[in-house]
Amino acid sequence: MNEEELVEYFRAQMRKDPDMASAVAAIRTLLEFLKRDKGETILGLRESLTGATDCLTGVDSSVAVSSGGELFLRFISLTSLEHQVSGLPGTRPFLLHSWTRSSSREILGVKLVTFVNSVRQDLSRCKKVMEERGELFLEKISMSRAKVAKLCHTFIKDGAKILTHSYSRVVLRVLEKAAAEKKRFSVYVTESQPDSAGRQMADALRKLNVPVTVVLDAAVGYVLEKVDLVIVGAEGVVESGGIINKIGTYQMAVCSKAHNKPFYVVAESFKFVRLYPLNQQDVPDKFKYKADTLKTVKNLSEEHPMIDYTPPSLITLLFTDLGVLTPSAVSDELIKLYL
Amino acid sequence: MPGPDKETDLTERIEAFLSDLKRGGSGTGPLRGSAETARETTALLRRITAQARWSSAGDLMEIIRKEGRRITAAQPSETTVGNMIRRVLKIVREEYARSRGSSEETDQQESLHKLLTSGGLSEENFRQHFATLKANVIEAINELLTELEGTTDNIAMQALEHIHSNEVIMTIGRSRTVEAFLKDAARKRKFHVIVAECAPFCQGHEMATSLSKAGIETTVIADAAIFAVMSRVNKVIIGTQTVLANGGLRAVNGTHTLALAAKHHSTPLIVCAPMFKLSPQFPNEEDTFHKFVSPHEVLPFTEGEILSKVNVHCPVFDYVPPELITLFISNIGGHAPSYIYRLMSELYHPEDHEL
Repeated sequence: MNEEELVEYFRAQMRKDPDMASAVAAIRTLLEFLKRDKGETILGLRESLTGATDCLTGVDSSVAVSSGGELFLRFISLTSLEHQVSGLPGTRPFLLHSWTRSSSREILGVKLVTFVNSVRQDLSRCKKVMEERGELFLEKISMSRAKVAKLCHTFIKDGAKILTHSYSRVVLRVLEKAAAEKKRFSVYVTESQPDSAGRQMADALRKLNVPVTVVLDAAVGYVLEKVDLVIVGAEGVVESGGIINKIGTYQMAVCSKAHNKPFYVVAESFKFVRLYPLNQQDVPDKFKYKADTLKTVKNLSEEHPMIDYTPPSLITLLFTDLGVLTPSAVSDELIKLYL
Repeated sequence: MPGPDKETDLTERIEAFLSDLKRGGSGTGPLRGSAETARETTALLRRITAQARWSSAGDLMEIIRKEGRRITAAQPSETTVGNMIRRVLKIVREEYARSRGSSEETDQQESLHKLLTSGGLSEENFRQHFATLKANVIEAINELLTELEGTTDNIAMQALEHIHSNEVIMTIGRSRTVEAFLKDAARKRKFHVIVAECAPFCQGHEMATSLSKAGIETTVIADAAIFAVMSRVNKVIIGTQTVLANGGLRAVNGTHTLALAAKHHSTPLIVCAPMFKLSPQFPNEEDTFHKFVSPHEVLPFTEGEILSKVNVHCPVFDYVPPELITLFISNIGGHAPSYIYRLMSELYHPEDHEL
């Protein structure tokens, strides 16, 4: 599967289901890549997967795609570790023995071929297991939004006024569930320039018959005294328990801290990423700007960043498919996975 | 016949416990302390395990859950009952896993790692029958009971590390744990205690009497004077009714005021809470969070004229957010509020959070 096919498959996935998270589409693409891969070794597989992930981040530079790719790579390592690809037991020492004993190339050639065949069989068995587990993994994470919605909607009380930022499909799902549970609430959405994604969110909410008001990004401080709670999504959840999200989220978090309003984050667990930014500058440039901008523009300091980092001290709770977590619990989860 | 007798005996005991709970839950007045409730609940669960009819772990858990729902519905604010039920459910799960010989114990929680490596969507259904399961579960529950017996002493043993000579300690209302804590320190150190009376039940008075009998210099103040006196206080040590999953507290009313005053003066706030008070609830359920009792304590019914013109409320509990708390002292040691999530995952299984 070459680069163009990869990109085309990814774009097709995103078009087919606009509701799917970009990380899920990335993982699906990588799984397809795995199925079509003709490599002979695990190391080669890993290298080609890393190349594929880089290619995908070239299309969609969000943190989520990068975290999805890393997760998939980790998945491959864990699965291949379980099914050690080492060939038939005793083959290698036998090979060495025969090399020293026999000088006949024919016998050696035959032995080499049997060794390679056995490795190939092991590899194909391992790949089969990977494909099965990969499908299972995809199935599980496609249910994660429903799990998050189930956990979060109990925190929305009757008569609540909610503030949210930009367009987040997870937040939309949570509000859908709350509306389905017959709760009455109203929503303020920020316009979220430069792409006015907030208006998209407002339209979606109007379809649910939820009273919604679009406010300017600059009006967040003004509107916070009326609001009961703030719920935002996240593009990535970093190791410290902070989040990376659309620009304007940090501002909202600081204001809600000043007003003592709870600031809730809803995110699926595949968005956990191994970054530890200490301030806004620490977030790598490759996430801050859109992929096209990174390729075409020479001087990035004149571009507006698309995301910002919100430190964990401003976040009250994180709702994930692994449960309701305090920011300190996030690093525990990441450690369990990666170490 | 021993069969039906045992069953009726069991149902009788459960009913007696239920009615006791319903009656005894009036504010923080002359009722049983949380420790006794926890002990009685665990003893009742042991009786259920021994006497009820069940053939597999799944059946036992179903029975416990059913009874648990009834008992918690009788007195929703008494969270120790629910906590003990969840502990016993976790014990059943662990014993089942041990009987099966699987090392699934450590992997019971949802985690990213588990998502990636699990081979199937198979749900553990606890249907296998093991002959030794009953005995193992009862033994584990006995261990739990022994742990419960020793909680107050374990907490009091840590007193000397935290209380130093000539310190001024403030507390509010009456907590048996804090009382034992202070009395234990008083054996070797000399310090002063200021007790806020905690209106309208004024349990602080009883606390002060008890402490002064132990030879501790005690002062009683009105709740309104908390802020005024706080500048002279070195530490604030309080008890609580429940510790919530985010590290916050549900404590007797007036505690939030005390916590805010302590934060303002940068005085450390120490909470003495045994592990059975840790509950997987979050402070979002408004209907079950608060408990209101008779407003007679606030405004007696004899004040006839005014009663028709005003609304009188007497809430029992207060929410204290985790940012105001410095340290939790429990029977297993001291913890920061941000660590509570870890203790929660060790004590309860996530599927039992909702009974």
